Amino acid sequence: MTGGNGGAVTHRLTVSGRVQGVGFRPFIYRLAQREGVSGWVRNLAGQVDILAQGDPPALHRFAAALIREAPPAARPLLTAAAEVTSRPLCGFTILPSEAGSPRQVHVPPDLFTCDDCLREMSDPNDRRFGYPFINCTQCGPRYTVITALPYDRANTTLAGFPLCPECSAAYGDPADRRFHAEPVACPVCGPRLRYAGSADPLDAAIAALHNGGVIAIKGVGGYHLVCDAGNPTAVAALRARKHRPHKPLALVLPQDDGLATLRALTCPTADEIALLTSPMRPIVLVRKRQADAVLAPGVNELGVMLPYSPLHHLLLRRFGGALVATSGNVSGEPVLTDDPDAEARLGGIADGFLHHNRPIARPADDPVYRVIAGRPRPIRLGRGNAPLEIELPVALPHPILALGGQMKATIALGWGRRAVVSPHLGDLESPRALGLLRQVATDLQALYGVQAEALCCDNHPNYASTRRARGWGLPVRPVFHHAAHASALAAEYPRTGDWIVFTWDGAGLGSDGSVWGGEALVGTPGHWQRRASFRSFPLLGGDKAARQPWRSALALAWESGSAWSPGAQNTDLLHQAWQRGVNCPPTSSVGRLFDAAASMLGLADTISFEGQAAMYLEAVAAAAAQPVPLPLTRDATGLWRTDWAPLLPVLRDRRLAAAERAGCFHTSLAAALVAQAETLRAETGITRIGLTGGVFQNRLLTEAVFALAGQAGFAVFLPDALPCNDAGLSFGQLIEAAACP
Amino acid sequence: MSLTDDRFITLAHGNGGRFMRALIEELFARHLANPDLDTEADAACLSLPPGDVLMTTDGFTVQPLEFPGGDIGSLAVHGTVNDLAVSGAEPVYLGLDAFIEEGFEIACLDRLVASMARAAAAVGVRVVCGDVKVLPRGEAGGIYFATTGIGVRPAGVRLGVRRVQAGDAVLVSGPVGDHGTAVLLAREQFGLRGDLQSDSASVLPLTRALLDMPGLRFMRDPTRGGLATVAHEIIRASGLRMRLRETDVPVREPVRGVCEMLGYDPLFLACEGRVVAVVAAADAAAALAAWRGLPDGAGAAVIGRLEAGEPGLVLETALGGERLIEELEDDPLPRIC
Repeated sequence: MTGGNGGAVTHRLTVSGRVQGVGFRPFIYRLAQREGVSGWVRNLAGQVDILAQGDPPALHRFAAALIREAPPAARPLLTAAAEVTSRPLCGFTILPSEAGSPRQVHVPPDLFTCDDCLREMSDPNDRRFGYPFINCTQCGPRYTVITALPYDRANTTLAGFPLCPECSAAYGDPADRRFHAEPVACPVCGPRLRYAGSADPLDAAIAALHNGGVIAIKGVGGYHLVCDAGNPTAVAALRARKHRPHKPLALVLPQDDGLATLRALTCPTADEIALLTSPMRPIVLVRKRQADAVLAPGVNELGVMLPYSPLHHLLLRRFGGALVATSGNVSGEPVLTDDPDAEARLGGIADGFLHHNRPIARPADDPVYRVIAGRPRPIRLGRGNAPLEIELPVALPHPILALGGQMKATIALGWGRRAVVSPHLGDLESPRALGLLRQVATDLQALYGVQAEALCCDNHPNYASTRRARGWGLPVRPVFHHAAHASALAAEYPRTGDWIVFTWDGAGLGSDGSVWGGEALVGTPGHWQRRASFRSFPLLGGDKAARQPWRSALALAWESGSAWSPGAQNTDLLHQAWQRGVNCPPTSSVGRLFDAAASMLGLADTISFEGQAAMYLEAVAAAAAQPVPLPLTRDATGLWRTDWAPLLPVLRDRRLAAAERAGCFHTSLAAALVAQAETLRAETGITRIGLTGGVFQNRLLTEAVFALAGQAGFAVFLPDALPCNDAGLSFGQLIEAAACP
Repeated sequence: MSLTDDRFITLAHGNGGRFMRALIEELFARHLANPDLDTEADAACLSLPPGDVLMTTDGFTVQPLEFPGGDIGSLAVHGTVNDLAVSGAEPVYLGLDAFIEEGFEIACLDRLVASMARAAAAVGVRVVCGDVKVLPRGEAGGIYFATTGIGVRPAGVRLGVRRVQAGDAVLVSGPVGDHGTAVLLAREQFGLRGDLQSDSASVLPLTRALLDMPGLRFMRDPTRGGLATVAHEIIRASGLRMRLRETDVPVREPVRGVCEMLGYDPLFLACEGRVVAVVAAADAAAALAAWRGLPDGAGAAVIGRLEAGEPGLVLETALGGERLIEELEDDPLPRIC
């Protein structure tokens, strides 16, 4: 405390976390005004540095409000607070940013439209009335417009839009809610919509949608393909043209009073509504109100989201009903972001294009969530939640870039105790996805000011990411697929002690050279031991088995000596190949067991999208079905293996209802998992089990495991920061590298 | 004693003595006889027509030794002849090494050498020198051949993978994957099928047909590793990107069916009688017409093009997608989750 200033004291506060690009300094400014605090605030090396002078109660309120009332997109963390001596200060100012190490920067994800902007956009007297690119320090695009750091307008894709006098004044006024809103825009100086041959682009798009057209609409992180969700002909056209016969289509719903449209279509829980209206504005899988064979055939849920950008708000308001909004891409490829690319690649799908001239620096798909076992679980990272930052339990020896897996790819950059996971990049089969992987790898390193000194990748030699890693020119640390899954989970719940982690998925290369997918790993990151698995069976025709569930049904039948015939297929040649072991690699994949079951129930002999068979099986299953005991025995190497064979007579018993057969499959697997856990607990004393791998996106199975394992005295964990599917591999690879360099 | 008294090869057939002489004269020379083959001489003395002299060598280890559409004997001729042919040369002479396993059936050897002789005669190439070794039981897969070929290329013919340019067209002379599929089924004794035959043949007529074309840049026969592997060789040497249209790559229906059932990709299966050619875009139509006019080129197609950009093989799929086809690595392990 210094003399001569009444009872005033001075505090120096350091705030870290996500505090840049989210309007944090103007917020501090306004807070200081309100509380009568003088001093200054500035950005310093990615953190916010504050000097605050006032009487002690005011300073106390100031410090508390700084966290409690922070802007919705901010994630402030008060990392230092100390009393300092200072001469008396007059007023509160925002000082220019201090240059310094950019290592504490946080690149914010794209932010949903805030209430203030929505209000302005709806006010006929406002200069931004009906303007689809309205934003402020609290909302608008971030990750998809930032081209370089520091986060300044000149380093965004809005650099080409010089501010008009009015925007310029707001941008420079600390009291304005657009003070240093880098993407600030208005109808005079900002981006515009374009629709070929139309003076009113939005009107033209709405008219085309009403006429049953499929329109490609450029949004925040890429194009959407949009059509009237209530027009089955339009939806059928979209499906046919996109070669997407069965995969559920996401809907964007008007944010109407009481969410009437949402409630008319679905039966949302309170958790799901909270998730839908959260700043992330994800696609949420919500139970349908009525059966539907158009939008999401074969499953009981609809993927729905609420408008998150001003353009989407305008679109939905003007259209007045639900719209299908699916990624504007060619199946499996990254979402398209560039006008000419979109016209070239989507020309055969879309009847019209609603473009805009704000360039997209890098794509971000919509994030997807499902509430499982009481918590929102991500299925896909994207716009609104990525780049996702997670604290590492131990520090990395040097910066590492982890390239993840092959499908649903993400990459992760780790340095010190920080890790940043990219949005969904797509399946790494297409040149565009691989180009994007390289771009995002470069961008993340540049934006965070971190240069990777080593790489992580999967052990699978033929993953495109593995091949790229080898050609990168940095040391490569390969990580086994299921070890990465297990470590990603363990790092979300960091505490000491061993885990039993069930890594159930479709396929990953195991340390014995076979294809794993139903493993129980015991240990800690860097030290996983495979202790339980499933009876092995062949993948008839290798990767073909992943696209044709009938092959897995046949494999189980042949392996267990029982009869099964998949419809009209002549399988003599395949039978010979199986007898001779030609392209029939062994697997313990639970994903393929789901395929086999779905095929035996006649739900899906071939599939057009990943996970289809398992989703159909889950949809028809009765929750309370009686399980069949599956024998658990040690094999010659001492590994516990669950035998799936007793499931076959039930799955093939046509006297039983499909609900009963599918339900029995789920409950039997849940019981088998708990039986493995109990056996391993008896051997190791471990009572904490983890569930990860794409199979646990199945709510019925996962919730059955939670219930059974809970009764048996286990603590059960499922990822909720990252998807449990292969999108989590990149982060898990970092954890493995940190634990065991 | 005469060779015909024996039914199986013994180590004595390789010891340099009487049995070996009988094997060479009564079996090999009998089939392969020509004015330049002198089994008494240590080295053949040859004369060559004018032009650049090209020489190549190749080993042959196929299993089974006899398969629908060919055998290791004809393959040993076609393989080396085709290497010369795609280099723009006319094959003239062959040297032959045979590595035979003790206990090999002489009747089978006779068939193989007869087949080799027929193939050589059809092409007009002479076997002018050779050697026979017998390996102890268990040390060879029945029989291996190695052939060395000498050919002559007209002066002025300039072919090479480095001549390939962005914009060039890629052609294949016929359906791919026939040999790989036929041999796979034969090796695994899946039972014979009349509709699956190796394409084992000399490609000389095909290469001759394009040789005068000024826009011809490069030819190669897609053997081990198939069309995709040749594509990668072109990409690696040229630094260009190749785009293939999936629907334009010819694959016979039975081959497609077997690949579909067993999970193989015909792009990676061997051919033994096809040519991949890169020609200037302006000459693509003429090259295609020239090939289609030949009996072995009836199924020829323009399958793609080269372009500037990041090197790689891009397959434009039937559904409008793009798939990056990577080089084959060991066994194709499943990777779809």
